[in-house]
Amino acid sequence: MRKDAYIVEMRRITKRFSGVAANEDVSLGIYKGEVFALLGENGAGKSTLMNILFGMYEPDEGEIWVRGGKVSIKSPNEAVRLDIAMVHQHFKLVENYTVTENIVLGMEPVKRLCGVLPMVDLKSANEKVRELSRRYGLEVDPTAKIEDLKVYARQRVEILKMLYREADILIFDEPTAVLTPQEISALLNIIKKLRDDGKTIILISHKLEEIKQVANRCAILKRGKLLDVLDVSTTSTATMAKLMVGHELSLDIEKPPACFGTTVLQVKNLTVENKQRFTVVNNVSFSIREGEIFAIAGVSGNGQLEVADAITGMCAVKSGNIILDDSDITHKSVRERNQAGISYIPEDRQQTGLILDFSLADNLALKRYHTPPFCNGMVLRKSAFSRYANELIGKYDIRGGGANGKARAMSGGNQQKAIVAREIELQSRLTIFVQPTQGLDIGAIMDIREKMIQQRNNGKAILLISLELDEVLACADTIGVMYNGAMINIAPADSISANEVGEYMMGVKKYEESYA
Amino acid sequence: MPTAIAGGAIAGGLIADVVIIDGLSFALPLLIIAIGGIYSERSGVTNLALEGLLGFGAFCGGLFVALFGTRFAIGSTAPMYLAFLCAMVGGAAYSLLHALLCVQFRANQVISGVVVNIVSVALTGFLTSQINASVFGAPSNKFVLSVSPRVTINSFSQIPVLGAVFTNFYPFEAISLIMVVILWYIMNRSRYGMRLRACGDNPHAADAAGAHVTRTRFAAVMFSGALSGFGGMCFAYSISNNFSPSIYMGAGYLAIAALIFGNWKIMPTFAACLIFGLARSGAYQLVKAMELSSSFSDLAMTIPYILTLLLLIFFSRSNRAPRALGEIYDKSKR
Repeated sequence: MRKDAYIVEMRRITKRFSGVAANEDVSLGIYKGEVFALLGENGAGKSTLMNILFGMYEPDEGEIWVRGGKVSIKSPNEAVRLDIAMVHQHFKLVENYTVTENIVLGMEPVKRLCGVLPMVDLKSANEKVRELSRRYGLEVDPTAKIEDLKVYARQRVEILKMLYREADILIFDEPTAVLTPQEISALLNIIKKLRDDGKTIILISHKLEEIKQVANRCAILKRGKLLDVLDVSTTSTATMAKLMVGHELSLDIEKPPACFGTTVLQVKNLTVENKQRFTVVNNVSFSIREGEIFAIAGVSGNGQLEVADAITGMCAVKSGNIILDDSDITHKSVRERNQAGISYIPEDRQQTGLILDFSLADNLALKRYHTPPFCNGMVLRKSAFSRYANELIGKYDIRGGGANGKARAMSGGNQQKAIVAREIELQSRLTIFVQPTQGLDIGAIMDIREKMIQQRNNGKAILLISLELDEVLACADTIGVMYNGAMINIAPADSISANEVGEYMMGVKKYEESYA
Repeated sequence: MPTAIAGGAIAGGLIADVVIIDGLSFALPLLIIAIGGIYSERSGVTNLALEGLLGFGAFCGGLFVALFGTRFAIGSTAPMYLAFLCAMVGGAAYSLLHALLCVQFRANQVISGVVVNIVSVALTGFLTSQINASVFGAPSNKFVLSVSPRVTINSFSQIPVLGAVFTNFYPFEAISLIMVVILWYIMNRSRYGMRLRACGDNPHAADAAGAHVTRTRFAAVMFSGALSGFGGMCFAYSISNNFSPSIYMGAGYLAIAALIFGNWKIMPTFAACLIFGLARSGAYQLVKAMELSSSFSDLAMTIPYILTLLLLIFFSRSNRAPRALGEIYDKSKR
């Protein structure tokens, strides 16, 4: 590729938000037909840079050149006119519309009814969408309603929307953060197909493996500045990680040998039905001791989340018992369980973990506000809230708007840190971590795993539910695998290989066989 | 109160016929007002202002007749049709107030609707008295309108029971039906309708797709103003034959109930309006047949409202409001 073949060039871009530089003097060029990755930690300025290219923000300084001409992109509509399109982290879809309706919205094909009356021609649009989805392997039913679709299918609709508009510069903002491993590899294949078709792709990510898999070149941003642009094929992931984090990062966590105490949690023959009265957890039994990390591995949707919900009291139990320290909590209220000694770091940090429009201080006190020193009888003591918040902000390095800043304004990594801080500070006997590092950058991931292991070393019982096998293998003392709602295998972590766990997860290896 | 009924077909005194005739003449204007509400709400703007809009529209129509009605030949229906046009233009113009407050200045949409209603009652009452006093020299709070003609299609009116539909109907009822078809088509088949519904569900998606949220919502609110004005004028020409503050009898609120009951969809709302209209005229005929005093007829008139409550209890579970209804659209918020 020649140097002058840049399809997009950003020259000396600087963007400040209330004085703080989100991007500082960033210059980079992207060739036509390559997959260009933007790598960096949460808050490194990757999304800001791409939002500038997409016309969401205007840069304070710098120039943008597209296809050899200088352009000024003031709105997303102008970006679309330059054939630039973006898949946002938060999808922008009309939920009660069909796939096709969403795709054509804004540029609806019109046909004339009886030769006169203009009407939106959905039939031909459906055909076109079907053809596009076949061509790029983006299987999705054009007539399905968005509200009935899973996250990965919604993402496909967003991609189809770009293709329908014949965009040829496609920006993906952390597209894999919301996907399961299988869905990720499908998406990466789609991205390769798009590249082979001549599209230029900009991929924002902090996952090294996927960058290694699909990207040609990779720019590393740190604190708003461009550190380097690397050729992915000749650079190791370790080098990339080092540049991104800024210091040598040991991916192995120090984990002293386990020292188990008495049993903290016992789950006996737990069965849970979902709202459609379908059995999602089937006769599951296990127990967790002091100083033990019990990890449940499994492919998404095999009942793991429902186990956590049943233990924390978020959903009803059909049959079976949950026993915490000799007392049966199967039918206790959520508050009673919290007080009995359960901490919960839920999967969805924005829906379940935080009240986004509350301040950080309020969120941190969410499980203790009704006890002294946070209240005095019926009256809340706000001074205690902020004192407590400032203490935790220091202790857990929670960055954002400070104690009085809204949780909504914090980055995902800091939101998770806040939840972890709140739950660990409860000093509960049992802490449940569900997908604790989903969507976080590598620094934050290591931080949270270290905190978890620290808790274990302090003699707490830990239940870890994760879809990421690496995480399970790195942290667990005992591994349980769930498949189809059943716990098909429980084994000490050092007695089972990654391959075996994988086979159980996929249902290849059955319970009976392991005893044969 | 409901117009005196004339004409051969009714001579038999069939109460069922009267109920249908009166019921339709109430239900169809109600439906047009409710469709106005649907346009506004499906675009994401809560519209409690229907009552005020229909009153202001009728005021504009009444004012036109008061000022220019004498210039037309006696018996001409032209002033009536022009009054309807004025009512629509006036309603649309007045609805700009609601659109400006809600869409442009991002005011709370419920408060804006209530304010629009209160201002409408006060303003039209004041202006009617002032104009009557200063222009016509006769203090009155009414603009007297002529009587709308009624039409009977003889060949259909002989059909048992359903024949009443084609008997003694007002021209505006026929116009209403044509409008319903056109309005349904615009909402469900046209480009504008598609964007309007998108704005009410997810304005961010609509905006990202290149549909102008502000423009679309402005137009939708003005639709509701024009349609409410039309509906108000129907009531002025059918129930009272004048414009007076008695036009504010709660039809706007009943239209809101109808559109919620109709799940923000035009055809189910049509059914709701028919139920309300027939319940109302049925109750009225019942009071008459039982020869009760007029205070009972006021009580009977509440039947449609009580019916609304009861039906909502049973049906509201499956109902779903537009997702972004009442939400102020802020580009920067995700």
